[in-house]
Amino acid sequence: MSIVETKELTKVYGSGDTALTALNHVSIHIQAGEFVAIMGPSGCGKSTLLHLVGGLDRATSGGVMIEGHNLSDLNDTRLAELRRRKIGFVFQFFNLIPVLNALENAALPLLLDGVPLKAAQKKAAEWLDRVGLSDRHTHRPSQLSGGQQQRVAIARALVSEPAIILADEPTGNLDTHAADEIVGLLRQVSSQWGRAVVMVTHDPRIAAYADRIIFLKDGVMVNETRLEAGALPAQ
Amino acid sequence: MSVRHAILGLLAQKPRHGYELRSAFEALIGGEQNWEVKPAQIYTTLSRLEESGLVAEAAIEQDGGPEKHIFDITPAGREELGDWFEGAVEEVHQRDEFYLKLMLSINDEFADPYAVIHVQRSSLFRDLHGLTTQRQALNGMENLAQILLLDKAVMHLEADLRWLDMVEGRLDEIRSHPPPEPETRPRGRPKKS
Ligand SMILES: Nc1ncnc2c1ncn2[C@@H]1O[C@H](COP(=O)(O)OP(=O)(O)OP(=O)(O)O)[C@@H](O)[C@H]1O
Ligand SMILES: [Mg+2]
Repeated sequence: MSIVETKELTKVYGSGDTALTALNHVSIHIQAGEFVAIMGPSGCGKSTLLHLVGGLDRATSGGVMIEGHNLSDLNDTRLAELRRRKIGFVFQFFNLIPVLNALENAALPLLLDGVPLKAAQKKAAEWLDRVGLSDRHTHRPSQLSGGQQQRVAIARALVSEPAIILADEPTGNLDTHAADEIVGLLRQVSSQWGRAVVMVTHDPRIAAYADRIIFLKDGVMVNETRLEAGALPAQ
Repeated sequence: MSVRHAILGLLAQKPRHGYELRSAFEALIGGEQNWEVKPAQIYTTLSRLEESGLVAEAAIEQDGGPEKHIFDITPAGREELGDWFEGAVEEVHQRDEFYLKLMLSINDEFADPYAVIHVQRSSLFRDLHGLTTQRQALNGMENLAQILLLDKAVMHLEADLRWLDMVEGRLDEIRSHPPPEPETRPRGRPKKS
């Protein structure tokens, strides 16, 4: 069973004369532990696809299935819960809370989910160590480099042990060296820690780390390319 | 490709025999998978360099096995090597087969330029994935030669992929207005009018 599946997923923004079809009948399957890159020209619907898969926005038609659950069957409360437990998000601008240190930032999703402080911080510390930040727990975002901030964000995305990580341009704000380190870490998230990683990127060098690349154009999935011969079939 | 200058550079480090030159060259480029040079090519180049007076036989060693001819660089060879260091390397402008295929596919009703681009893009991405995987397995201190070479190959593939995106973008623009066929002059004598 695919961990993520979209069926004829369609998103139309606005209505009437100003209606814009951002996604047009997109059907994809993503397997557990797979690392998939999404590419395509600006405005082709990459972020829209990620938002719909992550339950941050609702489809106009078609559906998203996460581990067999159809997101459109869930009310807002249940959707928010599924998002917290099954999905971790990583963004281009890290989206860390400036007044919290690395440990507090990474522990936040667990606290929001009602986990006691001690347990949450213990878990957060473990993930910070795993992403290579064992000596940076008490640093605030302003005291960390861009690459380090993105590591904190990845630890935060992983702390609730989600099966899926969604990353929108995770290296878009980093220099070449830091970008390589971050995408290398995302590859590890998939290959070593078994999470499905779906990453939007403009950068061919970064996309080449993935097992598979999906190409979008004008809201339509136009092509896909498998890069890792040993990877699971698309269905 | 300048095996000639590689040999001069390696002999400038210290005198060596032919077999040693080949392994030193291989170490320099990070393994024969990166740049294969046959032993025969080393020996032919070496004897040409000797004929031109750029290297000379310095000694013959024999420790039990067959004779080993040890070569050293001559002052003329050092001069040539110096010129090479001072000059720029001219990039070879490749005859680009893909370019030909693309241009012909645009005007061939049985071919689809978008499919041509996709096949090429997939192939380049797979190459890039392979290089990236190799590159990640290497240690920066121990494998500098391989890393520098892989980095270069990665950057070139990245440029090729970006160029394909550009081609596809332009193709989208001109899709409804195919470019006029280039004018070809009729051969032979102009017709009498
Ligand atoms: N909330 C919104 N309201 C209206 N239109 C939107 C909204 N969000 C996105 N769009 C439009 O939908 C289309 C797809 O946008 P999307 O952000 O998914 O593109 P993208 O592929 O992520 O682009 P980029 O590479 O520039 O980030 C665009 O034309 C965009 O203007
Ligand atoms: Mg976007």
